[in-house]
Amino acid sequence: MLLSTAPPIMEVSGVTKRFDRFTAVDDVTFEIHDGEFFTLVGPSGSGKTTLLRMLVGMEKPSSGELRLRGKRINDLSPNKRPTCMVFQSLALFPHMTVGQNVEFPMTIRGVSGGDRRTRSWELLNLLHLNPEQYYRKNVTQCSGGERQRVALARALAYDPDILFFDEPLSAIDAQLRKVLQKELKDIQRRTKKTFCYVTHSLEEAMVMSDRVAILRKGSIEQIATPDEIYASPKNAFVAEFMGEVNLLSITIPGDGVAHWHTGRNAMPPITVKIPASAVPVEDGAARKLLIRPESLRFIAPGEAADNSVPVRILNEFSLGSRIQYHVGVAADCTLIVERLREERTTATEAVLGWDTRDSQVLES
Amino acid sequence: MSTSLPLKLRTLAPGLRGFLSSTPFLLLMLFGFVAPLVCVVWFGLMPPRTFEVAQMPTLENYRTIFGQTYFKSILWSLGLAVATVMILLVVCYPLAFAIAKIFKGGGYFVTYAIVTSLFVSENIRLFGWVIGFMKNGVVGGTLARYFEIDIDSLLYNIPVIILGMVYVYLPFMLFPLVLGLKMVPDQVREAAFDLGASRWQVFRKIDLPLSMPGVMIGSLLVFVLSIGAISEAKILGGQKVVTIASDIESEFTYAQNWPLGSALSTLFIALTTIVVFSVLGRFDLEKLLGKKSS
Repeated sequence: MLLSTAPPIMEVSGVTKRFDRFTAVDDVTFEIHDGEFFTLVGPSGSGKTTLLRMLVGMEKPSSGELRLRGKRINDLSPNKRPTCMVFQSLALFPHMTVGQNVEFPMTIRGVSGGDRRTRSWELLNLLHLNPEQYYRKNVTQCSGGERQRVALARALAYDPDILFFDEPLSAIDAQLRKVLQKELKDIQRRTKKTFCYVTHSLEEAMVMSDRVAILRKGSIEQIATPDEIYASPKNAFVAEFMGEVNLLSITIPGDGVAHWHTGRNAMPPITVKIPASAVPVEDGAARKLLIRPESLRFIAPGEAADNSVPVRILNEFSLGSRIQYHVGVAADCTLIVERLREERTTATEAVLGWDTRDSQVLES
Repeated sequence: MSTSLPLKLRTLAPGLRGFLSSTPFLLLMLFGFVAPLVCVVWFGLMPPRTFEVAQMPTLENYRTIFGQTYFKSILWSLGLAVATVMILLVVCYPLAFAIAKIFKGGGYFVTYAIVTSLFVSENIRLFGWVIGFMKNGVVGGTLARYFEIDIDSLLYNIPVIILGMVYVYLPFMLFPLVLGLKMVPDQVREAAFDLGASRWQVFRKIDLPLSMPGVMIGSLLVFVLSIGAISEAKILGGQKVVTIASDIESEFTYAQNWPLGSALSTLFIALTTIVVFSVLGRFDLEKLLGKKSS
C-alpha cells in the first residue's frame, strides 16, 4: 500500500491541551494521510478523547497547530470545519426519523428536498439499511447496530474531509462489534474517505487501521502500521497494550545474557540468553524481555532449547483451538503459555523453554 | 393488638386489599375535590340571591351572566394570562438554558435564590412593589432626590399588573424549563453543531423541540395559575382592571349572590379546561406531525 507516501490531509504539530494544572495532551505531533484509516488508541486517561475533541474543534489547543489541507484550523468552530464526528453515544436526534437524521446536514446546507432524499436513500443502501423500511422509522425504535449505521450515514451525508469516530462500537456486544468493524473498514475502502478512529482497544485498532498511533499519558508512544506494531513494539507499554504477553523483568550485565528477576523475594536471578538488540544495554538499567505466549513451549527430557526453566502448571483455559496455561516460575512470577490443543499436557510440573530469537528486549 | 389489622389485611383478596389501601386517597379526593365541584355546579343552578340548596334548578344565573359584561373580565383574565405566559417564556428560556447547560454549580445558587423568594407570601411581595412604584416611593423618591425628575405613581396600569404576574409566576415557568432543557443531551447538541448547524439552527432544530415538554408544562402551569390570579390586579392595578377571579369574589362577598358566583366559577372552570386540553391536544398532534413530515 502506498498510504505512507500519500499526502497529509491533516497535520498536528506540537499540540498541547492543559486543564488547570493537568496536561491532558502533551506536545503531540503526527499526520493523517489522505484516504487512510488512522486510529488513535490508548487506555482511559491517555488523552485520546481530548485530542479527538481538538481535532474536530470542540476543544481549543492550549498550544500547537492544527492544519487541514495546509490551512490552519485552530480557531475554526466545528460547524465551519469540513470534518465531523460519530459520537460514542451516537448522538442521534431522537425526535427525528432515520431519514431526517441522515438528511440533517443537507437540510442545514439548504439542499433541496428531492436531492436530499436521493442522497439519503443512497447512503442508507450503502449501509445495508433498506430505505423502504427505515427511511420513515423513528431512530428511537432502531436497534444498536441500526443506530450505528444511521449515525455513520448522517456523518457521510455531511461529506466531510475527515470522519472522526469516538469509540462508537464500545457499547455493542462482541459479536456484532466484529461485524461492524469489518463493515466500517469496507465502507472506508469504498468511499475512499479519510477515517480517524479512537478506541481503547488495540485489537480493534489492528483489525481496521492502516496506521495506528498509541497514546499514553497524553503523549504518542508509537505510530506505525498494525504489522509493524505487532512485529516490533517500541516499548513494554505498547507490547502489554497489545494483549496477553509475557514481559520478563531483566537487567543486562553484558553482551547476549540477562538476569531475569522473578520476583521481590530474595531468589537469585535466572540467567537467560537474549538477542542482540537496538536497545542500549551498557547502563545496566531495568528492561523487559518480551516473549509471546505462543513462543513458550514445554520441553520433553532430552529436547533442546536456548533457554529453559522449571515451572509448575497452575491453571489451564480453553481458547478453542488452543489451550492457555498459567505457569508459576517463582512465588509471584506467573507466565502465560499458549499451545495447540494437540500438544495438551496434564502434568503439574514441567520444563518451559523458548528460543532466543523469539524474545525481544524492550525499554520498560 | 396493633398487628391484628395488617394480619387481617393480608388474608383479604388482592383486589380488595388494593381498594382498601386506596380508600384514604379516594375519600380525600371525593370530599376535597369532587364534592366541592359538584356543590359549585349545583349552586350555580339555584335561583339568584338565595342560600337554599334544595330548590328547582334554573338557568337564571347563566342568563344574567351572558346578559351582562362579565365576558370583559373573562377576556381580561385570559389576556393577562396569555401575556404572562409569553413574557415568561422569553424571559425564562435563556435563564433556564444557563442554569441547565452553562452555570454548572452556579445554577444551584440561582435556583436557591429564586426558591427563597417563595418563602415570603405573595401579597407581601406585591406590596413590596407598591412601595417601590407608588408616588414618592423607592423609584419615584430616588429620581426626585438625586436627579430632580418628578414622576407620578407608576402603579395602577396594565403593564404594572403584568409585571407583578410575571414576577410572581416566574419560578413556575423557570423550573419546568430547566428540567426540559436538562433532558436535551449535550452530545446531541454538539453533533448538530458539528454537522454544520449554526447556533440558531441548533436552537430551532434541537433545543426547542427536545425541551418542548418543559415548555408545555411551564406554560400550562403559569396559564392556569395566572388566569385565576386576583391579587396582582387588585394590589398593583387598583380598579383599572377587573379580572374574572375578582368578579367571582365580589359575588360571594359584597353582592351576597352565591348562585351567580357559583355559575361564574363553573363557566370559568369549563373555559380553562377547554383551553388547557385543546393546547395539550395540539401539542401531541404537532409532535406526531414533526415525526411524520419529511
